[in-house]
Amino acid sequence: MSHNPSTDPFDQAGVASVEDGLVLLDGPDGIAIALTAEAAVATGRSLVEAGEEALRLRSAGQG
Amino acid sequence: MEERALLENAISEVRAVEPRQVMIRAGERVTVSTYLLEGILSRFIDDHRGMRQLVAVQVPGEFVDLHAYPMQELDHSVGSLTPATVAIVPHDALKAILDPRPELTRKLWFSTLIDAAMHRAWLFRVGRLDAVGRVAHFLCEINERLAAVGLSDGHRFVLALTQSDIAEICGLTTVHTNRAIRQLREAGLCQIRSPLVEIADFGALARRGNFDPHYLYLDQSELRIEGAQR
Repeated sequence: MSHNPSTDPFDQAGVASVEDGLVLLDGPDGIAIALTAEAAVATGRSLVEAGEEALRLRSAGQG
Repeated sequence: MEERALLENAISEVRAVEPRQVMIRAGERVTVSTYLLEGILSRFIDDHRGMRQLVAVQVPGEFVDLHAYPMQELDHSVGSLTPATVAIVPHDALKAILDPRPELTRKLWFSTLIDAAMHRAWLFRVGRLDAVGRVAHFLCEINERLAAVGLSDGHRFVLALTQSDIAEICGLTTVHTNRAIRQLREAGLCQIRSPLVEIADFGALARRGNFDPHYLYLDQSELRIEGAQR
């Protein structure tokens, strides 16, 4: 069976938007979730921290 | 005797069901199968916190749990989403009419295979599609299934489900579903004025939802019991 690109990491960002005081995240791909504002802020911070750590490790040749 | 008449003779009871009732709980031993005459039923699985995921909906003309006949218990629960009327078919009666009739057995087997095909499509829907695509795919599917029993003219049908129901079906939150429905309306694809659903452009809605009706096998009329969808 050929390689299935749907199992690869996403290389495109999702789009977050506000709806009725909640944060909706659409994409990448089939991701579709809604978060409270607080959960969205916490998730966003966690994503930024992990993303920066991954970039740092990659530039150091450890990622 | 015709196959449909045989099945009708096997019915032990016709029962009215109030909306939002749990009819069969997962794990219960069952000795009957349920044929839906009116209304919409769901099959669902609750997680350990009681969070519910709808894994199937049934429309009139469908057996809800024919698979319970060989399996004797269900791995999911069955409940009513709307007021419903169901016919109860005892498994003993099913056995009596099916044992000497391999062709009828094959048709009922086909019916449960369609169930499995729909489950695969539902997995695809929640696994691969975005929010708008999931709602579009579901509306296309339900339109086709209702049209098969004369409950949709191909573009308009009554769907007495709440946005919360559609959210559970599509694995979305209610607010996400609400927005997806709005986006479909703004794109001119379909409109929901509950309970009426009007599909303005089925082809475009199907493309948006990656919907291909082949998995419903609606053209396999020789495998269907006359007068019943499945």
